[in-house]
Amino acid sequence: MVARVSKEPDDAERYPTLTDAGRQMLRRLVEHDAAPIFRNQSGNRLLAEDLPALNEFERDVLASPLEWSPGATPRWLMDVLARAHAEIPYYRSLGPAPQRFEDVIPISRADLAADIARFVPDHVPVDRLINFQTTGTTDHPLLVPSHPVVAARYIAFHKRALNRFGVKLSHGAGQVGVILLGCQRRCFTYVSVTPTMDESGFAKINLDPGDWRDPDDRARYINAMDPEMIAGDPISFQALLDLPVTVRPRALLSVAMMLADGLHKRLQERFGCPVLDIYSMNEVGPIGVYDAQAGGHVLLQPRLYVEILDASGQPVPMGERGEICVSGGFNFCLPLIRYRTGDTAALSTYRGELVLVDLSARRPIRFRTDSGAWLNNIDVSHALKHLPLARFGLHQGADGALTLKLPPDGAPHAGTALAALQELFGASRIALASITTDDKILQYETELPGGLVE
Amino acid sequence: MILDRLGPPLESLIHRLAETPREFLDEPRIQGRGQVAVAALAHDLMVRLGQTPSPEFLARFEGRGAAERNRLSLTAVMIWLLSDDWFIEHAELAMDLPGLLTDTAASLAEATSAERYTSDPDRREELARTSLTAFGCHPAGETPQQAVDRLTAVSGAERRRLLQASREAEERARAVREALVRKAAQESADKWSRE
Repeated sequence: MVARVSKEPDDAERYPTLTDAGRQMLRRLVEHDAAPIFRNQSGNRLLAEDLPALNEFERDVLASPLEWSPGATPRWLMDVLARAHAEIPYYRSLGPAPQRFEDVIPISRADLAADIARFVPDHVPVDRLINFQTTGTTDHPLLVPSHPVVAARYIAFHKRALNRFGVKLSHGAGQVGVILLGCQRRCFTYVSVTPTMDESGFAKINLDPGDWRDPDDRARYINAMDPEMIAGDPISFQALLDLPVTVRPRALLSVAMMLADGLHKRLQERFGCPVLDIYSMNEVGPIGVYDAQAGGHVLLQPRLYVEILDASGQPVPMGERGEICVSGGFNFCLPLIRYRTGDTAALSTYRGELVLVDLSARRPIRFRTDSGAWLNNIDVSHALKHLPLARFGLHQGADGALTLKLPPDGAPHAGTALAALQELFGASRIALASITTDDKILQYETELPGGLVE
Repeated sequence: MILDRLGPPLESLIHRLAETPREFLDEPRIQGRGQVAVAALAHDLMVRLGQTPSPEFLARFEGRGAAERNRLSLTAVMIWLLSDDWFIEHAELAMDLPGLLTDTAASLAEATSAERYTSDPDRREELARTSLTAFGCHPAGETPQQAVDRLTAVSGAERRRLLQASREAEERARAVREALVRKAAQESADKWSRE
């Protein structure tokens, strides 16, 4: 048997269209006096021939209304369904496409986790496949198949969301466009340039002090880079509020977890710019942006069909709450049909637009270690991800006491899981409890003051 | 395989399959969706053939997920075929009927879609011969040995095609899995946000 060696990528692969100006931008991002320790490498991976199509895609997304309305299956969706049954191994194994969309049996994350390779269409070449790993707050990590073009398409939906609040991004050559914040013990950090924005700079940084030579460098670096937009999640934005940053970004973009009203208001007051709360998931990308006037998250993707289903998988009437189920989307490596997201909301209309009302998705939870430091729930997911646990939960009581919850079939791994958490938290004692409910998705829970970011 | 009883001409069964009413190929009922209640169809057929199916047996036609869709569709097609007058008039031969509607249907459904068992000449022949075999019969105009040989030939070719397709599918899935864990894939590519 010949061992397959995974070749180390180089800059030519990471930035195929890089010019001298782009190279200079990368140097500026990495070599600044206050720069953090960038622990990883990544890039846009876009080829010159990708760029015209990306520009056209962006124009379409910015100009198109949603291409469907509730209760009427659009023709394009039936085409997506027919292609799925012809080109995707999982759907092909089910036989021909159903004649009626409502006869499609929904799938869930568990179906993807069983073997996600079977959801990748036959025609997708494997040589440019990339993955986005979802640690979730819940069950097994999932490698979501994607492509550099798919990753670059996110910009179109973010711009659509920004336009709604009167923000038209204008950064270009020689400017830092976006800083993306994390705040975790372990965080994937890197720098890049955005070819569709004239090689403006992009940096993914970690606000955890462990990634900086001097914790004060965090504010100095952000101030010096002066990004046009800052993106992050509620936990990293809360950390940002504690720093003496003086930048005036045109917008803040919060993704990944629910943004509480209190934090939203504090960010808006501090930075004096729109703060966008994007509902997004690795599997399908940005789904909606919160608009208080519309009363919820306004849908962003013209060709993402959204339904609300009851517990038995049947659509509920407009205005009733249920599980969000999505079909279609822009990730051609993973076209999903009736994918149950695990999140809940009601679908409503506001001035002709479709809105997810009362969205309940992942809540931002922090856990306190014995030394008093805060840990992102993602760190907990990382610590346990090597274990074959279908699900788990972690609860922190008001006194800081931790309880790990495992399902009965997770019992053999309890010792290893507890040891991993004891190391992470520096805690001598972590209690163990059984999961007895049928919940597919387990949220992290805290009763500790400050644990729930709001 | 003993096929010493005389069955109907194969052509009549093949013709019946070609004329399968569209309704039998509609969506089977699974988790409250679909129009074709396969459990009810199976019940009616078995009663017509003098059998009394138990609720536990009929539960096997309720379907618990999308993966059972094709099996149930094919079962509906088989029920249409077995409702032919010849089978009804020879109910005493239907000893293997429960196995035919369950295990045999599942095995055939793994090979191809239920729809192809009505539209493709070779698959129609395979399904007609398989059903007759379950009744211990050979088609009129053939000897028992000819019937066995012909069924082996027609199903063997399909098994080989299936095996090849299965190999190719597994090869592709392996290539996708390997590509997803490559160093370059793990480095991913820029997004302005992380979910």
